[in-house]
Amino acid sequence: MLSLYLPILVILLAAAGLATIIFTLGVVLGPKNPTAEKALPYESGSPSTGARNVRLSIKFYLTAILFVIFDIEAVFLYPWAALFRRLGWMGLVEMTLFLTVLVITLVYAWKKGALEWEK
Amino acid sequence: MELGLGHFIGLASLLFGIGAVGFLVRRNLLIQLMSIELMLNAVNLTLIAINRWMPGNHAGQVFAFFNIAIAAAGAAVGLAIVISVFRLKKSVQSDSVDLLKH
Amino acid sequence: MTAADMLYLAPLLCLVAGGLAIMLVDAFAPKGPNAQRAELATLTTVVLVAAAGLSVALWMKGSTRGPEWITSYLATDRVALFFDVVICGGTAFAVLLAGGYLREHEMERGEFYPLVLFSAFGAIVLARSTDMLTVFIGLETMSLGVYSLVAFRRTSPRSAEGALKYFLLGSFAAAILLFGAALLYGATGHTDLAGIGAAVKSGHADTRLTVIGLLLLLVGLAFKVSAVPFHQWTPDAYEGAITPVTAFMSVAVKTAAFAVLLRVLVVAFSDPLTASVSTGWPAVFAALAALTMVVGNLAAAVQTSVKRMLAYSSIAHAGYILVAFVALPSQGESAVTAVLFYLAAYTVSNALAFGSLILIGSRGREAVSYDDLAGIGRRNPLVALPFILGMLSLMGFPPTAGFFAKYYVFSVAVQAGGGMVWLAVLGVLSSVIGAYYYLRVVVFMFMKEPKEGQTIAVPMKSGYVVIALILSAYFVLRMGLAPGAYLEWALEAAKRLV
Repeated sequence: MLSLYLPILVILLAAAGLATIIFTLGVVLGPKNPTAEKALPYESGSPSTGARNVRLSIKFYLTAILFVIFDIEAVFLYPWAALFRRLGWMGLVEMTLFLTVLVITLVYAWKKGALEWEK
Repeated sequence: MELGLGHFIGLASLLFGIGAVGFLVRRNLLIQLMSIELMLNAVNLTLIAINRWMPGNHAGQVFAFFNIAIAAAGAAVGLAIVISVFRLKKSVQSDSVDLLKH
Repeated sequence: MTAADMLYLAPLLCLVAGGLAIMLVDAFAPKGPNAQRAELATLTTVVLVAAAGLSVALWMKGSTRGPEWITSYLATDRVALFFDVVICGGTAFAVLLAGGYLREHEMERGEFYPLVLFSAFGAIVLARSTDMLTVFIGLETMSLGVYSLVAFRRTSPRSAEGALKYFLLGSFAAAILLFGAALLYGATGHTDLAGIGAAVKSGHADTRLTVIGLLLLLVGLAFKVSAVPFHQWTPDAYEGAITPVTAFMSVAVKTAAFAVLLRVLVVAFSDPLTASVSTGWPAVFAALAALTMVVGNLAAAVQTSVKRMLAYSSIAHAGYILVAFVALPSQGESAVTAVLFYLAAYTVSNALAFGSLILIGSRGREAVSYDDLAGIGRRNPLVALPFILGMLSLMGFPPTAGFFAKYYVFSVAVQAGGGMVWLAVLGVLSSVIGAYYYLRVVVFMFMKEPKEGQTIAVPMKSGYVVIALILSAYFVLRMGLAPGAYLEWALEAAKRLV
C-alpha cells in the first residue's frame, strides 16, 4: 500500500515544474503593449469609478485579526462537546483552563483598547 | 476508478508544491501569506487522508486540529507584521523591503 | 492523570501562569506617558528563575521518569531539565537586558514581557518534544512570539523589515517541516519520535518516503538553527530587532532548535540506515557544518556593524555545534555532552556580548557599528571589560567557557576519526578568522578614536544591565576555569538520552 505514495516526489516536481513553466510562458509569450485603456482595471465592462484602492480604516484589520484568533479556537470546543460525557470531570477541568486562558487574553485585548471603535 | 490514499497524497503534494512555488515566485506579501496557508492546508489534507487509511489511532486528525489553530495564530501575527510594513513603506510588495543588506 | 503528575510539568506551568499574570498586571497598570514598566522586568525574571528552580528541583529529586501521558508528548528526562535551565537562564539574561534597554531608549511597553515568557515556554516545549505534534506546537509558539518581538520597535522600518523576512522564511520553513512530519507519519503510521524510530529500525517503514520526510524535516530545522544555506533571514532579523531581542534569539531560540534536532535524530533516526556515516544524515550534516562554519566566519569578518557581525558569528557557532552532530552516531554520549555544554557556554557568552553592546549605547545613540565603539575602552575601561571577556569567550580563548565548548566539540570529531578529522581541522581554521573579527572589537575600543563629527558613545546606566553582565561574566569565567561540574551535569543528562 505504501508504494502508493511514491508518486509524491514526482508530483511535487511536476507541480513545481508546471507552475514554473506557466509563469515563464506567461512572461515570455504574453504580448506586452499596454495602452492607457488596457491598463484600466476591468470592472465588468463599465468605466471604473472611484479611487484605485479604497482605504479601509486600520481598525478593520485589528478586528479581523482578533476575530481570526478567537474564532478558530472554537475548533477545540467541538470535539470536547461531542465527547462531553466520556471525558467527564477531567475534560471539564481541562476545557475550563483552556477557556480561562482565552478569557484572560480577551480581558487583555479589552483593557488595551483593541475593542474600542472610537478612540 | 476507486479513490485511494495515493490520490489524496498526490493532491496534497500538488497543493503543497503550488503553495511553495507561489511563495517563491510571487512578490505580493498577501499572496505569499496565502501560499503559506495553502501549504499548511495541504499538510492537513495529507494527515487526515493518512489517518483515514491507517486508523490505528487519531494522531493525524488531532494533528490537523492543532495545525488549523496554529495557522490562524500565525496568520494573525503575519497580517499584523504586513500592516506595520505597509504603514512604514506604503507598499505590500516584498521587493520594497530592502533596507537590510550585507 | 493525577495532580502529582502535574509536578513534571511544573516549570512549564510556571511560565504560562507567570506570563498570563504579567499580561493582567500590564493591562490593569495605570496608563500614561510616565507609566513605568521596568518593574515588569523584575517580575518576569522572577518567573523565569522560579521555572529554572523547579527544573533543578526535579533534577535533584531524581524524578525524571514521568507518566506516559506526559512523556509521549513532552520529555521529562534530564536532557529536558538541562535545556529548561539553559533556556530559562538565557531568557532571564535577555529580560534583564531589556529592563535597562527599553527604559533607556524610551520603548517601555508592557507586552514585551509576556511575549518573551510565552516564547520561552514555546522554546521549552520544543526542546522537550517527543512527538511531531509538540514539535510543531512548540516551534510555532516560540516563533510567533519572536516574530512579534522582532517587530517590537514599531516606528523603525528596519525592525518591521527584519520581522517580515523572519516571519515569511520562518513560516515557509515550518510548513516544509510539517510536510516532512506528515510524510513520516505516512511512512511509519506514527507521529511520536519513539514510534517513528521503532518503525524505521524494524524496516516496516517505506524507505523512500522516510528519506523524503526526513530531508524535509531537516530542511525545516536547518532554517531554525540558521545553518548555511538556510541562514539568509538571520542577519536581517538579528539586525532589525532591538538588541535584547537579538540576544534572546541567539540564546534561547537557537538552543531550543538544537535541542529538538538532537532529540529527533537520537530518538527517531539512530538506525544504521538513516544514520549511516557515508550516506545518511551525518553526511548531510558534515556538509552543512563545513559550509556554515566557513560562510558564517567569512561573512562576519567583512561586516561594519557589530550587531550584524554577531549575527554571522551566531551562524558560525551553529556550524561548530553541527560538527558534534556529525559525530553523534559513533560517539553517542560524548557528542551529546559536547552539544549540551556548547549551548550552555554559548548562552552565557552571547548574553555577555550583547549585554556589553547594550551598555555602550545610551538614549538616541545606540551602539551598532564598530565606529560607535571607537575609544570607549580608553574613556571608560570598566565598560569595555565585559565586552573583551565576551569576545574572548566567543573566540574560544582560554580560560573562558567558549574555549572548553569548542575544545569538546572538536575533540569529539577527532575521536570519531575517519572522515571527520577534516571537519575539526576546518573548524579550528575558521575559528582563526573568528579571532580577527572578535579582536577587531577590542582594537576599536582601545586603539581608535572617534572620527571628526561623529557622536561619541556614552554608556548608559542601568542596574538591570549591570546585573546581567556580572552574572554572565561569572558563568563565562566559572565554566572556563572549572568546567568539570558543568560537564558532569551535561554527561549525566546525555547518558539518559542515548
